[in-house]
Amino acid sequence: MEKGGLLPVLDSSIQKIRSVSGGSSDVLINRFVTGGIHCALLCCEGMVSASVITELIFEPITDIPQQKDSHGLFHYINEELLLSTDRPEVGDYDTLFQLMNSGFAVLLAEGMTTGLAFGVQGYNTRGVQEPLGEGNIMGAHEGFTETVRTNMSQIRRRIKSPELVMELSKKGDKSSTDICLCYMKDRVPKALMERIRRSLDRVELEAVLSTGYLRPFVENGSFELFDSTGTTERPDVLCSKLIEGRVALLVDGVPYAIVIPRLFCESFQTLDDYAYKPYYATFIRWLKYGAFLIAVLLPSFYVAIVMYHPELLNSTLFMLLVDSEKKAPLSIVTEAFFVLIMYEVIREAGVRLPKPVGGAVSIISGLIIGDAAVNSGLVSTPLLTMTALSVLGGLVVPELNPQVTVLRFAFLISGGALGLFGISLLACAVLVNICATEDYGFPYMAPLSPFRKSGMGDTAVRSGIKKLQSRGFTVEEYHE
Amino acid sequence: MNRISKFQFTALLLITDLFSLCCCFGGISLGTLWGILAGTAVQYLAAMCFAVQGGALKKWAQVFFLVYAVFSGGALFVSLWRTRSAVYIPYEASHGIWGSLMTAGLIALVCLYASSTGIKSVARAAVIAAVMALLSLSVDLVSALFNAEWSNVSLPEKRGLLGEILKGFGLSGSLGSMAVWLDSVKGDKSKALTAYFAAKAAAITAVMVTVLPVVGGIMELTDSPVITAAQLSQPFEAQRIDSLFLVVFSVLAIFSVTLQVMTGAYLFGELLPRFQRWRSLTVIALVIGAAFIINGRELLTVRACAAAAALLIAPVGAKKSAAIGSG
Repeated sequence: MEKGGLLPVLDSSIQKIRSVSGGSSDVLINRFVTGGIHCALLCCEGMVSASVITELIFEPITDIPQQKDSHGLFHYINEELLLSTDRPEVGDYDTLFQLMNSGFAVLLAEGMTTGLAFGVQGYNTRGVQEPLGEGNIMGAHEGFTETVRTNMSQIRRRIKSPELVMELSKKGDKSSTDICLCYMKDRVPKALMERIRRSLDRVELEAVLSTGYLRPFVENGSFELFDSTGTTERPDVLCSKLIEGRVALLVDGVPYAIVIPRLFCESFQTLDDYAYKPYYATFIRWLKYGAFLIAVLLPSFYVAIVMYHPELLNSTLFMLLVDSEKKAPLSIVTEAFFVLIMYEVIREAGVRLPKPVGGAVSIISGLIIGDAAVNSGLVSTPLLTMTALSVLGGLVVPELNPQVTVLRFAFLISGGALGLFGISLLACAVLVNICATEDYGFPYMAPLSPFRKSGMGDTAVRSGIKKLQSRGFTVEEYHE
Repeated sequence: MNRISKFQFTALLLITDLFSLCCCFGGISLGTLWGILAGTAVQYLAAMCFAVQGGALKKWAQVFFLVYAVFSGGALFVSLWRTRSAVYIPYEASHGIWGSLMTAGLIALVCLYASSTGIKSVARAAVIAAVMALLSLSVDLVSALFNAEWSNVSLPEKRGLLGEILKGFGLSGSLGSMAVWLDSVKGDKSKALTAYFAAKAAAITAVMVTVLPVVGGIMELTDSPVITAAQLSQPFEAQRIDSLFLVVFSVLAIFSVTLQVMTGAYLFGELLPRFQRWRSLTVIALVIGAAFIINGRELLTVRACAAAAALLIAPVGAKKSAAIGSG
């Protein structure tokens, strides 16, 4: 990008702009004379609102009386006219293109080495809609959108405190993506903010197109199975995290926010938990813990028990399994592996296919493949039941789906090869890995290990709101 | 050095003691319980002297504790192999020495990974593992009480109290690690030691009091009384649950060996600061080598003497801490 200052001769300046933009069709240059001075208004087609630019810029600007020179013109516009609330000054072509491509209209005048920019953004955006990935019954039905400023306003509407700070900056050499760092300045230590800013300074990407581009920079570099940063598409959830002293990162063009740090126990918490009575919320929470374990371990335990430790089964169940498994032509591990792979293929097809075809996938997979596999004897019914239960358990904790999927296969292989001993070995390695996960000094397994009694009120159980209110919790309590 | 809490310190050491107890070979009696408890009391007093002395270890003491860690790690592997008749690990028993090597190799792999993450994460994981192990053991052993014969508790003793104290010392393979890692405990060291020895005494008493009435009558016939007690604990009429004991047993084995490997690797790093890259791998190779050398021998007396020496050397070999020195 051109780094030099603006040329004072308008024709030369416009020529330069055309040359830098390569004659791009969406760069609109409107030349006119106002106050006796030759001017040009530049904007990017589709990024500005035509009605706003006509009413707020063109109409007042063309009514300007005769001016002595260009300086007088800019002084008159700045002092006498209120064309827009957002009016940065443009000193070089780099800034000019950045502003123009962000929906600003830039005014250049003959003889001036600076320009005036007016915020008249008017591009089409998706409205605020219900989030698809984080279902909620009793909470708000608003989710983030792709526009960072809309998302900032959604947070501000919920936290009106002046302590809430939103720092906008740009990342990506080519994309110049707006990113916004949000935090409560009275709850987040300055040292932590400095560390996060330093991490973000290391970003030298050409483009930032999703949260996944930035997360590796704010996460610990070592091999971690679980994410030490989280994402949410709900402004209400993000606000609760900010109030707990966490830091959020909004990325323009992405309807998700990154939350730093993330704890393991948070994957089992939803905003609905706080809308229900504590006893029911506690029940639901333990149901999720159980579902997670079932999702990861059930197929491997089934395979290990049937293959190596049949004494764990009672005689009736044992006979039932023997009866159904003896008809299956494949070994139990191969059978389980086949069913799980089939499920993953069907799931991926369902996600990627266009919606009208997606329905056909469920019919083919559920009715044709599933039914046919059991009837032909390729897969035994008990194994299919176990796999279905395991998959269903994984759906209860959708946030951990990538980890659950991979661990399910890994445990299946270790259980199939070495029985319960193999499962124990892998469980130890996974446990150590989870306990080693740490971001900015916040252990992922807190408050379980390192144990914090104060955190148990919202982990082992869900205490009443009055009790939680008196706790005055911030995530800083878990810092080591 | 990373700092760990007193609960993490307790969990790390307690796991090794529980594993040693699970693998305990030969008959036990009420005298064994008194002996182990008396031994624990003596260890506590000696450890408190070390806590008061404070500070890091001198070079020659570090060499002793490195050798002790390798020996203890080897003894743990031998204990694991010896239980193969009682605890079923697929392919292990049927493949002879290769089966043993496979078990050791797999455990070594997990230990290597665990030790690469550092003491802090292993200590955190050890707390969860210890809690799960204690819960599972209590379920397993409490259900054994349904088959208990309380008259078995008062069966005649075979060894004298001194012999039982010796056995108690022999089963305390974590004393070397205790001396090495005590310096990294946050806060009051003596409180950490009190917590550890209290937990150890409580856990051993609970296990022994459950095992004695269940296995007492067939003590002559069993090699591993704690495992046998777990096998006899069947809360359901129509199915057996003793395979679940294998899960707890494996987890205890992995964390016990990991602790010894981490202790050895840490001391290696202290003694040879340039030798950082392969120290965990070297220690684990030495541990497996030691296991093959001592395989087939119980060496309870040697283990007891080594534990006693560790307790004596720890205070003598400690550099005086700044607080003591200036005071």
